[in-house]
Formats: sequence, structure tokens, C-alpha cells
Amino acid sequence: MGQTTQSASGALVETRDLAVGYEGRVLVGGIRLKVCPGQVVTLIGPNGAGKSTILKTIAGQLAALGGCVLLSGKDLSQLPVRARAQELSVMLTDRVRTELLTCADVVEMGRYPYTGRLGGTTPEDRQKVQGTMELLQVWDLRDRDFMQLSDGQRQRVLLARAVCQEPRALVLDEPTSHLDVRYQIELLTVLRHLAHDQGLGILVTLHELPLARRVSDWLVCVKDGVVTLQGTPEQVFVPSVIDALYDLTPGSYDALTGDVLLPEAQGHGREDDAQA
Amino acid sequence: MSPRGTVGEARLDSAKDAYGAGRDVRALCVFGALTALLVAALVANLCVGTVSVPLNQIVPILSGKYQGETASQVIWNIRLPRLCAAALLGGALGLSGLLLQTLFANPIAGPYILGISHGAKLAVAVVMILILGDARVMSSWMSLAAAFCGSLAAMAAVLAVSRKVRSASTLVIVGVMIGYVCSAATDVLITFASDANIANLRNVSLGSVSGVNGGQVALMAVVVTAGSVATFLLSKPLGAYQLGEAYAQSMGVNVRSFRLAVIVISSVLASCVTAFAGPISFVGVAVPHVARRLLKTSRPQVVIPAAFLTGSVACLVCDLIARTLFAPVEMSVSTVTAVFGAPIVIWVLLGRRRQVG
Repeated sequence: MGQTTQSASGALVETRDLAVGYEGRVLVGGIRLKVCPGQVVTLIGPNGAGKSTILKTIAGQLAALGGCVLLSGKDLSQLPVRARAQELSVMLTDRVRTELLTCADVVEMGRYPYTGRLGGTTPEDRQKVQGTMELLQVWDLRDRDFMQLSDGQRQRVLLARAVCQEPRALVLDEPTSHLDVRYQIELLTVLRHLAHDQGLGILVTLHELPLARRVSDWLVCVKDGVVTLQGTPEQVFVPSVIDALYDLTPGSYDALTGDVLLPEAQGHGREDDAQA
Repeated sequence: MSPRGTVGEARLDSAKDAYGAGRDVRALCVFGALTALLVAALVANLCVGTVSVPLNQIVPILSGKYQGETASQVIWNIRLPRLCAAALLGGALGLSGLLLQTLFANPIAGPYILGISHGAKLAVAVVMILILGDARVMSSWMSLAAAFCGSLAAMAAVLAVSRKVRSASTLVIVGVMIGYVCSAATDVLITFASDANIANLRNVSLGSVSGVNGGQVALMAVVVTAGSVATFLLSKPLGAYQLGEAYAQSMGVNVRSFRLAVIVISSVLASCVTAFAGPISFVGVAVPHVARRLLKTSRPQVVIPAAFLTGSVACLVCDLIARTLFAPVEMSVSTVTAVFGAPIVIWVLLGRRRQVG
């Protein structure tokens, strides 16, 4: 399990023997992962494995129960909140409920770590809001009320907010849930663009394996309180690994297409199953 | 490979008004209208009453002519302190409600509905009746301090519940119940109080700005100004907190100290109201909504001053109605604010339902 595509230094996010969990109870321990500039790193694993807990700890919302998180080499727990916000921004699964805020208002909140005491924006800030919204194709929605949007639009506006914060690293918790397949593909295309063309480091959790396979440069498998394996998509997306990670019946995962097959219904074997 | 500066390099000139167009004009209109209403309400409160003072005498009286005449005495000793109190406390209620609504992420939060005003009221009664007894008269400072402690205690109870329940309406019901308990306890104390104390407690118990004196107004002005400035200084994190605590934290809000600041400031403002005028109903919960609807935004930088002005206007108008409608009999201002405030709360609730469904 060599870290063939991950450089030894210059990581934007690095964890050293990190232990995460709630109320002193460790959920996942011994985590060593790295996110380098230009890289999409994806956490995969069964529900309840602790993927979101890892993200929350890296984002500084939960205290680490052991080990440490380094952002661009600096210890997260020693970092002032403003410096941390300039280093890393997040997109969460929390349902955002606003009242009388436009999409531009929501995106503009990303400028928080750069604005003054009272939060006034400069023309430069506003220009960055526009640039980000254009990049994520939500500029047309700028004066619409945030609560009136569809789920897909809302996710893109929240992503625009995170990008507008101009972090080095972006942490996204299940950004594709609630989205139909077209928005999923669009969102992940943007993530790849942000990583590969703009040099952001992206750490993301995904449930959809075919998408994870396409978007990720590096995968981290989390199960039963440990990181069971990490590597490139070629190393991770092999039947034995995926079957073990999700406790599938051997043969359920098709490495060639990325499809997950349903087990045969008992006593009613279908012909196309036999062909596969 | 820093991404800094790579986003949006085009159109520096056109970006200035690229979004939120017309917002400044709207804000200007709203503030203009609110200021005009405030001036009108202030003048009406000076002129109208059992002793009617003609409009053209107001300026001479205020500049010190006609000293010793009835009209001058009524204005200087009764109406001026009273309208100052109504304006200041109304503004304080508006801001207190705004802070609580943001803190609890709950559109129907307010110092009266969450029982915080009643906690303050109980504490004032306890100090006045049980601790001081008949021996000493309670100073303004003492009732303010007692009310603040009572507010914090009620706030602590509501906060403890808010950690357990997710539902906005359950939290409000618990707040209302805390209010009832505190009111009942206050009534028990009043039953055993001396006549002098009962007279003193009438205001604190029912919610009325009658009978305040100049010294009290001065103290009020200091406390409310401090609380309002502090609220305005919090406008940036208040804005970020609208996206939820987790997002606020990720943007660089120090959540722990922010919450503490909001709790202390909203308690100071609410207790100032209760110490001098008793619990005034529904202004705190309704006023922030009116301000937001008028401005068509919830950006705190504009909503905070607008909520203060709206609260002032609301309390001045309600107090005018309270003392003139059935004159010479006076109602408590809280009765009038309930008539206007409660329907607004119902309207907000119905609007929320529709949005969810």
C-alpha cells in the first residue's frame, strides 16, 4: 500500500494518527491521510463507518480524540479561527434554512474571513462573488431567494460559497446526495476542475461508487473503526476490496463497469444474470 | 499552487452593482419612513393626553418657556420621560428579539415568549419583597441587576431545553411554560407583599411605562445604548450564524464567545425593559419580522438599526393607545402590544408552514 501518487511533503491537509469520535468514544482511530494540492481524495465506506466524523474533525468542528490534523503543515488546534477559515472551507450535509437571503448573499458570506469588523465588502470582494458564481453557473440566480431554489441549485450555491472563501483545501460531506444524476456529474466535474486547474486540495465523502471512481485521484476506505486501505482508483476498485469494504457477496461488484449487481432472487434466476 | 486571486478577475467596473441592485434605495426609503414615523409618534405622544398641548406650544415648552405652567409640567415631568422610556425600551425589545431569533434559529423566539422577561420579573419581585422587605426602597440599579440575574436564569433554562429538543415550536411552548411558572411565583409573592411594594410592583408585573422619572430614563438610555452598539458590532457573526452554527464556525466565527455575547446582550436588553416597565408582550418577536419584511433582506447590518426604529415606533404608538383609548383609565402597554403583536406571530407561523410544505 504505497502512497505512489501522494508527495511526501506540501500536503494541504494531513492527519497523523488521528482518532475521531464523539464524547470521548473513539469511532475511527489511527487515521493517516493526506490531501495534496490538485488532488481529489475521497472517503468511501459503509454507512456509520465514521466518514463524516473524520471530516468534521478535520474541519475543526469536533475535537480530535488523539493524534493531530495539520493544515499546510500547521497544527489545526493551534491555528486562529480566521487563519483556519482561509485555509479550509466546508460544504456540509446540514440543511440550510435562510430567511430573505439571496443566493449572492449566501455566496458573499464566503468572504467572511477577509472582510472587516462589520463585514462590509469591497468591490474586490463583490467581484470575487461574481467570479465564483459564474464559475459554478449560479450567476443567473444571484438575486433569487435561497429558499426558493431546487436541491441541485442549492448545492451549487453552497459550493460557490465554499469556493468564494478562497481556501487551499475544500472539505465536502456527501455533496451529491439529494441530486439527480445530471447534477451529480456537473458537481463532480466542477470539483475536478477546482482541483486540477486551480490547485485546490479536495477531501470528499461519496456514496456513489461509480462517481467516486471517476472523480477521485486517491481513495481512503473506512470500515470498522480503521482505515482499511488507501490507494489510487485502480488499486481500490477491484472486486475483492469493494466486496470486503461493503460486506457484499463475492462477485457482486463489477470492476469493469463499476456496477454493483443485485444477488439472484432465489429460485428465479434470470437469463441476463447468467450472461454477466 | 495557491488558488488565491484566480477567481473572477473580469469586470472590476461593472461588479460594483452586479447584484443586490436597488437594495440601497430600498433601505434608504425604509429608514426615511421609519424616522418620519418615529418623529410623528414622538410629537403625538407629547401633544395628546388628558391635558392636550397644542402643536405650536411644543417647541417653546421644550426650549424652556412657560415654566411652571401646567402644560409645561405635564410635558417635562410626565410625557417626556414616558415617551423616552417607550422609545428606548421598544428598540431594546426589537434587538433582544432579533438576537434570540438568531441564537435559537427560531423565528418565534423573543424575550416575552421564551419566558425570559418573566424570569426577570420574578427576580425583581423576590429582591423587592423577600430581601429588602419594607425597610428600604429599591433603587433602579438594584432592580436592573435583579432583572438581569432573573433573565439569565430563565435563559439558562431555555438553553438547556434547546439542547434536547430540535423542534422550534416545542422550544417556544417550554418558554411559555417557564413564563407561566415565573408569573405564578410572582403572584404568590405579591399576595404576601405590603401595600407599598404592591404599588411598586404594579408596573413590573403588568408591563407599563407609566410613572418613570428622569433618573430612570438616564439609566435606561445608558444601558440600551450600550446594548444596541454591542448588537451592531455583532452584525457580522450574526449574519454568518444564519447559515447555522457549523457553517458559521467554518467561516471563522468563534461560536462559543459569540453565543455568550448574544446571551448576555439579549438578557441585558430584555432585563432593562422588565426592570423599568415589566414584561412587554410580543414586541420582541414581531418587530424583527416587520423590519426584515420592510427591507426584504435579513442582513443584520441594516436589519439591526431598522429593528430598533420599528420597536421604538411600535412601543410609542401602543403606549399612546394604552393611555388615551379609555382615558382617564389606562391600560398596560403590554395589552395593546399583544393585540398587534400576536397576529404578526401567527402570520409568521403560517408563512413558515407554507414554505415547508
